[in-house]
Amino acid sequence: MFPRVGRGMWRAAVLTLTSSRRTPACRLLTTRDCTPPSALADAETIFSLSSGHGRCGVAVVRVSGPSSATALQCMAGLTHHLPPPRTAMLRSITDPIGKEVLDRGLVIWFPAPHSFTGEDSVEFHIHGGSAVITAVLQALGSVPGMRPAEAGEFTRRAFQAGKLGLTEVEGLGDLIHAETEAQRRQALRQMSGDLGRLYQDWSHRLKRCLAHVEAFIDFSEDELIEDGVLNQVDTSVSCLRAEMEQHLKDERKGERLRSGVQVVIAGATNAGKSSLLNTLCQRPAAIVSPIAGTTRDIVETALDIGGFPVLLSDTAGLRDSSDLVEREGVRRARERVEQADLTLVVVDCAHVPTDAQQAAAFLQGHLRSVLPAQEPTDTAFPADRCLLVVNKTDLLPEGERQKLDTELRQVPGLPPVCLISCHTDEGLQDFLTLLHSSVKTLCGDPLSGGPTLTQARHRAHLQQCVAALAQYKMYRDTDLALAAEGVRLALTSLGRITGRVGAEEILDIIFKDFCIGK
Amino acid sequence: MLKKKPPVLRHFLSLVSRRANHLARQQYDVIVVGGGHAGTEAAAAAARVGAETLLVTQKINTIGALSCNPSLGGVGKGQLVREVDALDGLCGQAGDWAGIHFSILNRRKGPAVWGPRAQLDRQRYREFIQSELLSTPRLTVLEGSVEELLVTEPDTAEPGHHRVTGIRLVNGSHPISASSVILTTGTFLSGSLFMGQTTSPGGRIGDAPSSAGLSHTLRERLGLRTGRLRTGTPPRIVKDSVDLSLAQIHPADSHPTPFSFLNKHTRCKPEEQLPCYLTSTTPGVERVVRESLHLNHHIHEDTKGPRYCPSIESRVLRFPGRSHQVWLEPEGVTSDLLYPQGLSMTMPPDLQLRLIREIPALHRAEIYTPGYGVQYDFVCPTQLSPALQVKSTQGLFLAGQINGTTGYEEAAAQGLWAGVNAARCAFDLPPLALSRTESYIGVLVDDLVSRGVTEPYRMFTSRAEFRTSLRPDNADLRLTLKGFEEVGCVSPLRYQEAVRVRDSLQDALSALQTLTLSTHKWRQKLPDVCISENKNTTVSGVELLQYNDASFEMLASAFPESLSSYLEFSQRLKIEAVYKPHCDMQRKEIERIQKEENMSLPQDIDYLSLPVSLSQEVREILDRVRPSTLGAATRLQGITPAAVVNLLRYVRNTEQKERRTHRNQPHRKEEREEREEELCARKASLPQ
Repeated sequence: MFPRVGRGMWRAAVLTLTSSRRTPACRLLTTRDCTPPSALADAETIFSLSSGHGRCGVAVVRVSGPSSATALQCMAGLTHHLPPPRTAMLRSITDPIGKEVLDRGLVIWFPAPHSFTGEDSVEFHIHGGSAVITAVLQALGSVPGMRPAEAGEFTRRAFQAGKLGLTEVEGLGDLIHAETEAQRRQALRQMSGDLGRLYQDWSHRLKRCLAHVEAFIDFSEDELIEDGVLNQVDTSVSCLRAEMEQHLKDERKGERLRSGVQVVIAGATNAGKSSLLNTLCQRPAAIVSPIAGTTRDIVETALDIGGFPVLLSDTAGLRDSSDLVEREGVRRARERVEQADLTLVVVDCAHVPTDAQQAAAFLQGHLRSVLPAQEPTDTAFPADRCLLVVNKTDLLPEGERQKLDTELRQVPGLPPVCLISCHTDEGLQDFLTLLHSSVKTLCGDPLSGGPTLTQARHRAHLQQCVAALAQYKMYRDTDLALAAEGVRLALTSLGRITGRVGAEEILDIIFKDFCIGK
Repeated sequence: MLKKKPPVLRHFLSLVSRRANHLARQQYDVIVVGGGHAGTEAAAAAARVGAETLLVTQKINTIGALSCNPSLGGVGKGQLVREVDALDGLCGQAGDWAGIHFSILNRRKGPAVWGPRAQLDRQRYREFIQSELLSTPRLTVLEGSVEELLVTEPDTAEPGHHRVTGIRLVNGSHPISASSVILTTGTFLSGSLFMGQTTSPGGRIGDAPSSAGLSHTLRERLGLRTGRLRTGTPPRIVKDSVDLSLAQIHPADSHPTPFSFLNKHTRCKPEEQLPCYLTSTTPGVERVVRESLHLNHHIHEDTKGPRYCPSIESRVLRFPGRSHQVWLEPEGVTSDLLYPQGLSMTMPPDLQLRLIREIPALHRAEIYTPGYGVQYDFVCPTQLSPALQVKSTQGLFLAGQINGTTGYEEAAAQGLWAGVNAARCAFDLPPLALSRTESYIGVLVDDLVSRGVTEPYRMFTSRAEFRTSLRPDNADLRLTLKGFEEVGCVSPLRYQEAVRVRDSLQDALSALQTLTLSTHKWRQKLPDVCISENKNTTVSGVELLQYNDASFEMLASAFPESLSSYLEFSQRLKIEAVYKPHCDMQRKEIERIQKEENMSLPQDIDYLSLPVSLSQEVREILDRVRPSTLGAATRLQGITPAAVVNLLRYVRNTEQKERRTHRNQPHRKEEREEREEELCARKASLPQ
């Protein structure tokens, strides 16, 4: 039975603590932006990746709270029933909105009170790739009533439900301490940068807004506090809202910078994809052989390309195969390409026709077969999402290589092209420069322009903050208490990133800014 | 209905008889020292709960005196008055009896922050409080000065722990013993009065200073940490000497709103209300302040004064070159004086006159009594439990300014709560605490005992996190039912009324909820309400009431058969409907906090040697503050999440141990039940 919490279980709790901060929740609030503010507080069901980050075979995503059953049903395709309690079941895990299959894995249903937290809980055991994890977490975030867990929240719920005995909990304080210590150091690191300055500035401005509204509420009847104070708050609040919304529109550049750009190598069998991976990571990470179909599964490796983190995946060559294992490999390859930030399409130069026109048609057809289906009207391939790598140029005579290079550059509608040889490293430097600039575009330059969001958790809190500021505007003229409540909620949300704000702090600003006396 | 007051003569007679009567008695359940706002509420509450109570005050005729401003309520403070009234305290009804100018402050800012306020007739307020106290069963009033607080020697098992046994009066041969003593000495604890360069001992002009013995006992014998605070009061001005045509008139509300949930009307008729006047300072005022600084001792002292009720001296020094508001407030129906709110000052009297004459409306004004400053000791309130009992001394309770607060309402609220708990302590019942999630009283007490004070503490609505749920309109629903059922400080009459109100509101809200129509139908029924044309859903009556321009009266006239019987609650229903979504949203957070507050931390923990992992810094904070619940501990500055978890573990551990012990001693609970029964029987046998 599950609730026997032993040392091993305890380790799972530890992982929850360390990982939940990073839970992406990008969709969580976009689906809620238009709902009334009351929906924000109803988010009682929490989810988080409970296993470690980084490459691993299996990842465990844990869900706890009253909407767990709903989440399980709509993501595991169980419309009218739930699986038997505490029994692993192999299901396709689908996105509840888009309905596409995200992964196939084990689901386990733990009805209350027989779960780690004492609440209804679900565990998803999925494949450990970060794309799959991200997709599943995003899908969970789109289920109504769900939000990413706060650090330590699973453990806290378990504790409150009396699920953790005294011996098991031994050391919990030190653990959370370590956690907060790490958080503090991390926050410090982050907070000393531009991003920190930006959030601190917002927090400071919000505090002043709240202080001025509170001063108007608590003192204006007795004191000379002009109505102009509120007009200033109106301007500040709409400015802040606009700035936050702009900040949120960064297309996840910062998060990508933080968790790595997903770069996938794809192409036909024996084009030299694994060789490219090995060349890039400068070690034999993937098995290379002249036999077509050597790579069956995804081979992942983390790289640093000019200072940007890249998660490079080598995939099985795309071809129709009767081999079951290879077919699964091809399916995974296609899936990975769909989730990629950047795809490197590798072509054996021997397959490229020598005639320029034929070559262009061949390559366009090839790209279409490798890349996910585009909109029919969209003939051009997005330059920032794809690079064409023509490999094995060492097999071409020098003159032909030059000719091919010049010709391909003139073909309209092709993504950037690179001619390389993994064998002789010819053209590799140019390729790296091109790869670097693509990755840089995807991440955004952290040194220029506004700082970007680096954590999905920050995104969720900022979105709540923006929604709460809308409440200010909604009630500004009818009920100042409720309008102030909006600013207060906004400050609380922002405070989850920058630190707590207490009533005394607000009063200090009031007394600094106004001459208050009966 | 307003209570009919006994004639003044009769009540003084009864006073004399009570004093004689008392002489035979040397034993009480509860003794209250001080007859101010805290003391009167404390004595009345203890007696309501069933305790044989003695109120000791220096002068019986200053009981219920308004030492400073002649007003009650306001933003934040009005909420406290409503809550004290909801628990059957005195100040709300006294305000309705004595009020001569009623207004709801913040009328345009939303019902959660409305501030019921009234100017009071000082004479009527005192009369009401005195006659109310003297007709309270089980309450004896005694004129006298306390020489000494009697406490036991420290417990050998628990060093530093005492138990209060009673008091000894100045010139009193016999001690008067009691199980609980409540000190509500206001500004009298080592109080000194300041005017210009002269200083004299005392807590209020015209009254004798209190005995030094009391502060000696608190500091030296009980080892309580004290601090020093200051406050002040403005000169009183002769009304006839003021040129009111140069000030701006501010009339009262045309329909006075009573403080008390029991009153439908105020004693003062709407047309009888007196106006207030607004004027402001001139550069001349600032000049006089600067010129008189060297003659003004009070202003040089380092002690902390209230930031939000500063003297005119600190106002012009902190914000120079500005004009400051001065309100001229009536002191009573027959009074010849005006109270200049905003002109609290401590300079020599001749300069006070020069200063006020710099204000146009006061250019020929005469001063009746000059303003003065007061400095006094307060006991750092972190040494108290949420029941307002001194943690190290069983049976000793403190309330009011002695805890570092300012204001009548803050004092009254603490007095009531200390009175309830002092009586419970005398009956050996466990203490009760009000949560900050359910009342401003809870916010006040929690702020005091868990954070302490650095300046006189005043209530603001911004101190209450759950302000939108803790509204002045619903104080009865929040507290009266609990006050009767759990606390026992509420009369059956008030309880029945609160039950009627609750049931009616519930019925009305469910009637509104079931009244669901399409927006199209609503537009037909209520053409005056702007319901968006492109909205095409069904809307319930509750949702419809959330529209700005919709009122319950409109709905009731459209659906008279189902709604017209609730017309008396029109305003409350409108407020309930508008705040419903926000209160629902807050409820989850409130539940979380209550869960934490339900985990109490034993008061006898030795934090410095507790065998759990805590940093030295955290140990010291916990040792100093001794939070009574885990919730209070989490709100302390410098307490890490790790420390909270460790404490949680400790609490669980002790709870388990206690459960084991309880199993071995089952008679304990029965004993407590017996005491509760005895108390009920005792109350029932006495006239209400």
